[in-house]
Amino acid sequence: MADLAMLDRTYDFIMRRIIADGRAPHYTEIASEFRVAPDVGLGLLRDLMAVGLPNWLHPHTDLIASFPPFNNLPTQYRLGVGGEWKWFAQCGLEALAACWAFPGRTVEINAPCLDCAQPIEVAVRDGRIERAVPATTRFYVSVPVREWRANIVYT
Amino acid sequence: MNLFRSEEDARRWSEFAPGSEAGIVTLEQAMAIMSTPRHRNRFDGRYVSSSPGYTAAFFAKLREVTGGSPYWEPPAT
Repeated sequence: MADLAMLDRTYDFIMRRIIADGRAPHYTEIASEFRVAPDVGLGLLRDLMAVGLPNWLHPHTDLIASFPPFNNLPTQYRLGVGGEWKWFAQCGLEALAACWAFPGRTVEINAPCLDCAQPIEVAVRDGRIERAVPATTRFYVSVPVREWRANIVYT
Repeated sequence: MNLFRSEEDARRWSEFAPGSEAGIVTLEQAMAIMSTPRHRNRFDGRYVSSSPGYTAAFFAKLREVTGGSPYWEPPAT
């Protein structure tokens, strides 16, 4: 297991690449960032995913699937910042938390309502809801908090 | 963990779980839940080593925002 300081750096590198590029890096890019061999980069990725944070790889691969607040696999929660629409949120709750990745900027969230498929538009900036269309928009989680971890992908 | 155009839409959703009405909250409540260091400090370069220390504040915020609803009560550790 890599030491915590190295896992901090790996986490930070992945997060900053997602913010910059809209996609998570491959482990070879992690290796390149830290000037280590690709298998060492793979080890860093796997160690990071084993820490217990709500991040995960796509099953049977070493590809990052989810790295909240973002998702590397497209979801129904599209995120736009400054007219760029290159991010997806892990879920409806993390879509709101994505504002912390872009301090001082408005994050637009576009999603379909999962009941009626009609559009939902939310704008959030520095933890404040600037706009919601419709204004009646609600968040819903069908699993109690005590069961979130056991249902982490579903929730 | 999804967004719906209204509480009625959430209740009509095909995956709505009977008895889970407490799982519907406003956007402002949801934003408050996602505003503790657990979610704000992901970008400070020390998140892996710091994150265990953020749990208590997150759980406290869950209780505060939801009025201590059992539905939002964290797991016993």
